[in-house]
Amino acid sequence: MRALVTGANGFLGRHVVDALLARGVKVRAMVRPAAQLEGLDWPSSVEIFRADLRTTRDLCSAFEGVDVLLHLAAVVSGGEDAQFAGTVAGTERLLEAMADTTCQRLVLCSTFSVYNYSAISRTLNEGSPIHQTPDLYDRDGYTISKWWQERVTRRFATKYGWDVTVLRPGFIWGRDHGYLAALGQQFGRHHLVIGPLTRMPMTHVDNCADVFALAAIDGRARGQTLNVVDGPGERIWRYLSDYMHGSGNHGWRVPVPYWLAVMVVRLGFATVFRTATKVPSILVPPRFESRLKPLRFENRKLRETLGWTPPFDYQQCLARTYGPTVPTVARHLYRAELVNPNETR
Amino acid sequence: MKAALIGAGQIARQHLACLKTLPGVDLAGICDLSPATAEAAADRYSIPAWFIDHRAMLETVRPDVVHVTTPPTSHFGLALDSVTAGAHVIVEKPVTPTFQEVKTLIGRAQTADRHVVEDHNYLFNHAPQEILRRIRSGEFGAVTHVEVLICLDILGPGGFADPNSPHPALKLAGGAIADFLPHLASLAHMFVGPHRTASTVWTKRKSSPLPYDEFRAVVDAERGTASLGFSASSQPDAFWLRVYGENMQATTNLFETRLTFDGPRDVPKPLRPFFSGLEEGKTIRRAAVSTLLRKFKGPGAYEGLWELLARTYRALADGSALPITGSDVLEVNRMIEALRPQEQLP
Repeated sequence: MRALVTGANGFLGRHVVDALLARGVKVRAMVRPAAQLEGLDWPSSVEIFRADLRTTRDLCSAFEGVDVLLHLAAVVSGGEDAQFAGTVAGTERLLEAMADTTCQRLVLCSTFSVYNYSAISRTLNEGSPIHQTPDLYDRDGYTISKWWQERVTRRFATKYGWDVTVLRPGFIWGRDHGYLAALGQQFGRHHLVIGPLTRMPMTHVDNCADVFALAAIDGRARGQTLNVVDGPGERIWRYLSDYMHGSGNHGWRVPVPYWLAVMVVRLGFATVFRTATKVPSILVPPRFESRLKPLRFENRKLRETLGWTPPFDYQQCLARTYGPTVPTVARHLYRAELVNPNETR
Repeated sequence: MKAALIGAGQIARQHLACLKTLPGVDLAGICDLSPATAEAAADRYSIPAWFIDHRAMLETVRPDVVHVTTPPTSHFGLALDSVTAGAHVIVEKPVTPTFQEVKTLIGRAQTADRHVVEDHNYLFNHAPQEILRRIRSGEFGAVTHVEVLICLDILGPGGFADPNSPHPALKLAGGAIADFLPHLASLAHMFVGPHRTASTVWTKRKSSPLPYDEFRAVVDAERGTASLGFSASSQPDAFWLRVYGENMQATTNLFETRLTFDGPRDVPKPLRPFFSGLEEGKTIRRAAVSTLLRKFKGPGAYEGLWELLARTYRALADGSALPITGSDVLEVNRMIEALRPQEQLP
């Protein structure tokens, strides 16, 4: 089996490449023309396809001999329009190219952000409501572009009869990506911790990548939409403590109850910021809720559909994030050997 | 009046947001090569029809006004098709990549009794309009010289200097800086009139995909002189406009709201700098607050675009003179033609 991975040198992408290799899947890694690949330590069997989804003319040849597309590429920085152009229009161009090939299977990386947190009261799962327009446009550029990317992908899949799996990860964390938006508001080294006992929907990048590799090869994933979290999630207070300890970023943690913070934000929005055009995200109620609302998160459907359990527990993930770097060979072998050479499972 | 847009990217958002506020304007259609981009814009701004083929839109919607907000190299064909379809066109700057195309477009529009308006938005920001008001009242005195200098970091990886995807503006003579020449030339034209001669310096200070990252020009114009510049290296970002009159001098940063005047005072001459300094400080402090507040409300630095569109639609509705005429567009682009580099660096 050969997989085409877009965004292959991104934070999640590089781990997905490792996870696919560990499961014996051949990988063609799509990276941008100017991407620096030193340090990724990919084996020579990984084929590199350089392209920019916004402009590269020939994307069809990327699909030659490919059985499954893992579409992870998204623009996550810049303005809303740049994100939309890169993520949504780029996806259109990629899938138009795919329609001219024999590849019929794709796994899309979506996000928890597509859920309408304001309309969810207790447990967020795959049956929870997602945003609808026009309220969608009150959200940030990332959410808008990912929502549209998912819509566009489903339309293509319906039109061409493709097998599609949509994976919606929560907050993905890992080495050099320990800080999460759910942690509250940072002021220099100090943190305003909003709802310190709230559990976060989180997945370690190694666990998340394992789900993507599994979904690519397991027929039970076809046609499914699955949330990807490692479990019920850690509480913000504890995770932040581990982050500060692991990263060496020491500072104060000031706890604020969620109900108080959300009240202040709603009041500020109703009286001052409603007509504002450039307000920090955390001051816009729907965006505030999507980062911080205390809900229950579960991965029951993922477990039941694919029989998946996270390869690494929280302590192991901490070690992989803040401890010594795991050698590349060990990264590639951990699944094949069912043992992580560096750790006791 | 029925309006339609071609190109639903970044700047289109400002046009759409403004059009939604204008009385008597019916946003009837939007077109983009990306179906999702067109559909999302239609969805967001309650536009009843979206298209991926501009000719289909022109034929179906039959708009009175078409806004062309695509990358510059596509402006000419799209604007020409719109004029041919019987619409007035409001085109983002630069209106076309070459002066010959501008002349052709304006000529065709005049033949068809249609208007071509290029977006010279900064002319309609509060500060240049206030300076203009004082000039017209006689208080400022005749303008002798104008300086316009844009300092803007365009060398970051996400925009003009994107190493992965060449920015469309790099196809213009002068590269990314050519995208800013209409701002420089339109302000010079506003204060000192059509140019007679111009001398330029185009250089490159830093390694990047851009052919040039520094530009200076001295322009001799009918009513005075102008010095124009663009610097990708000087920080912080600023858009300085200084106008020198026979009675007063004005200084403004068009990325902010500050505008200061220095002129005669009813105090002994040795004390004039002292009182001028006090007043300037007070004005700048007030402007600092209003610049901050402006981030929370309204179009921000695009205030001029909103004002230009409002005036244009009013003029089209009542048949009065447009704020930017075909003659203005021609003169500004004639100056731009004189400012372009003689040869493109590799």
